[in-house]
Amino acid sequence: MSKLLRFLAGKQSLLIFVFLELISLVLIINTHNYAQLKTHDFQTGLAGNINQRLNTINRYFYLQNYNDSLLHQNTRLLNKLNQPQNKLDKNGALAYQFSFIPAYAISNQYNLDHNTILINKGSQDSIRPESGVISTHGIVGVIQKTSAHFAKVISILNKSSKINVALIHTNYTGFLQWRHQNPNQFEITDMPTNARIKIGDTIITSGMSSIFPKGIPIGTITGFKTLAGRKSYVIKLKSFMDYTNIGPVYVIKNNLKTEIDSLNMQP
Amino acid sequence: MINTSKYIIILLLFLILQVIWFNHMQLFGTYTPMVFIYPLLILPIQKNESSYLVLAFLFGISIDLISNTGGLFAATALFVVYTRKIYFLISKNKSQDFENISIQNLNLLQKSIYYFTFILISQILLYLLESFNISLVLSKIGFILVNSFISLFFFIFIDLLFFNPLKK
Repeated sequence: MSKLLRFLAGKQSLLIFVFLELISLVLIINTHNYAQLKTHDFQTGLAGNINQRLNTINRYFYLQNYNDSLLHQNTRLLNKLNQPQNKLDKNGALAYQFSFIPAYAISNQYNLDHNTILINKGSQDSIRPESGVISTHGIVGVIQKTSAHFAKVISILNKSSKINVALIHTNYTGFLQWRHQNPNQFEITDMPTNARIKIGDTIITSGMSSIFPKGIPIGTITGFKTLAGRKSYVIKLKSFMDYTNIGPVYVIKNNLKTEIDSLNMQP
Repeated sequence: MINTSKYIIILLLFLILQVIWFNHMQLFGTYTPMVFIYPLLILPIQKNESSYLVLAFLFGISIDLISNTGGLFAATALFVVYTRKIYFLISKNKSQDFENISIQNLNLLQKSIYYFTFILISQILLYLLESFNISLVLSKIGFILVNSFISLFFFIFIDLLFFNPLKK
């Protein structure tokens, strides 16, 4: 026994190293577990509180930018108000399918492979996982989990994000993915070669999922190619949005999500 | 022995620098210098590094809590502090005593190699633990190398700025 104790005392550094490294790994795995649906997450709450304070200072420096983007948003909404609504919107359920909850991004990662964003609204503000998050200049990500006052968003700058997008004025769709290190460069795959595309065309959300409504502008095409033997394009896209500076965001609440999900669940 | 209060100020300074400034820096559109391991690399070499390990863990976990990255920085900081000893075991002269090695006495080339080795290790580890995907890390090895060189530039600059911050 004493021999064992002496041996362990000699390996004190190693033991401490292994023990603390294990704790770190458990913490990493917990954060990376995308399937985890824990609503009250201690770390999200704590990181949220610290970042909330840091962000209050930061916000002053970007006031001008935020004002500009809000102005931009207001103009778009005013324009929309003056447009005649289409028949579907007037008669069908689509008129009230989506509602928007305003929030602020309080921490934003963009230099990792699986970036996340924290926003200052949570389950108390009726935010649920798998809701879309947009900003005035494009889509931001999808809610992964919520605590009472904060929510964690899987950023579009995340190698596991895959978002269904469409070419403007057409129904040709593809998948938007972030494959580069540059936070404003994206790639679209599986867009059929039947689509007539050219550099400078706008890409919007397709509305094929229950997360994002159709027609949110994302970015413009900067280049494209077809791979040998494939009938689809690989498109390079530059986003409208600057993902290194996310301020005010809107969480999209799909009021018909349960209905759509239950329909999808049926055999 | 190191001046503890001075060292804690350095640690806090680097914590703030990494979290508030460097994590949001996008040099040439893509590169993010990682300077958080600098204060861990300038620690003197000791036979028993248990206290350093605890310190590295606390330092790393503080960055993680603010950046919401789980234990990513904690695991990396710990690994760097632990493997530092191995680096000096390999690189020291046979006649040299382990505890007589002083990082501040190394010449610029030796210091640059020392810094670069650990910047590279920390970057690879950081991206590996973040994605749990070796092929993804290998595919961006060019990016990691350039990022490490940029970080090294900052290390040398900081070194020249606060030359020998832990001198007796």
